[in-house]
Amino acid sequence: MDILVILLLLIGLLFFLGGAVGIIRMPDFYSRLHPAGKLDTLGILAMVMGLALYNLHHFSLESLLLSIKMFLIVFFVFLASPTATHSIVDAGMRAGLRHWTKKKRKV
Amino acid sequence: MKFLGVIIVCLTGGLLLYGTTDFPDWGDPSSPASTHLSDYYIEKTIEDTKVPNIVTSVLADYRGFDTMFETAVIFTAGLACFILLRDFRGKKERFYRHKPTGVVLHVKDGKKTLTVGKEFEHMDKDWVPSDLIIKTVCRILIPFIQIYAMYVVAHGDFSPGGGFQGGVIFGSSLILLAISYDLKTLVNRIKEKVLGIFAALGVLIFVGIAAICMPMGGNFLDYTALAPLVWDPHHVRALGMLGVEIGVGFAVMAVMAIIYINIVSEGRHDEGL
Repeated sequence: MDILVILLLLIGLLFFLGGAVGIIRMPDFYSRLHPAGKLDTLGILAMVMGLALYNLHHFSLESLLLSIKMFLIVFFVFLASPTATHSIVDAGMRAGLRHWTKKKRKV
Repeated sequence: MKFLGVIIVCLTGGLLLYGTTDFPDWGDPSSPASTHLSDYYIEKTIEDTKVPNIVTSVLADYRGFDTMFETAVIFTAGLACFILLRDFRGKKERFYRHKPTGVVLHVKDGKKTLTVGKEFEHMDKDWVPSDLIIKTVCRILIPFIQIYAMYVVAHGDFSPGGGFQGGVIFGSSLILLAISYDLKTLVNRIKEKVLGIFAALGVLIFVGIAAICMPMGGNFLDYTALAPLVWDPHHVRALGMLGVEIGVGFAVMAVMAIIYINIVSEGRHDEGL
């Protein structure tokens, strides 16, 4: 059980790390939003899965309820985070920001 | 005149800063607050009020007078925003969109009201097609945000939260509606008068609960005097706090929406962010 929890937390950390590196290293506005929107969402899923499992160590109605509440957080982050990213990208498109291309960089 | 204002601001700021030198150090164990008050709050809160959250009990009970005027300050902020910004003249130019075809009518004359059929909708000047994804997700999320806001208000006695936080969350759900759809949707959904009544009602609930204590034989804001009125006399102070928090929540929620609507539409309540 503990191993599974640690594994899930590590997976979550890996995704968060990937997201953080991606936000810094990606070349432009749109591609930076890609790790911000995707990896953080998956990272939070893995992390909360690990924490919810850990919380179920002493199985009781209360700890089960708490775990369900944790998954509610994930549910709402799953709804809200991609939508927020989408709306930011949408705003960028409407404001007329051009996307990055490799060719443009060379000139 | 402006120069005079700068001098007054600098003088007042300097005086206030000078005053802070007399304060006890941060976290000083021998300061008056730490020697008399904190111990009492920490030791006696459960005994006195049956509320596990000491912050709430200090905020809404021991120092309820302070919180009452904080609510009044928030109400005044909303009122000031309304008085300074509200513009009843209305724009002369208006745009109506024929929903089935998307044809836009540009009305230029200054008629106050122009009755249009249901197939037309009022449109912002720089209207952009609203995004289906954002609209749908916000439509799903807003009720949950509002339920959560009520939970935060109702649960202020037991966990972090309370009227101010819950009211802000509720107000932000209204603002989310305005951002994801448009301002007109929010203004049509909750009329300006309703918001004003809610803001005043919140303060009235707070002051009302405080004032009812007096004819019941207690001091102002002394919730123990309300014991004959409630179903659970042991928890009367907790229930009094809950009532007060609900009032604060009403006031904060309405004032958030009033400030937002007035600022984004420059007081015209027609179009904005």
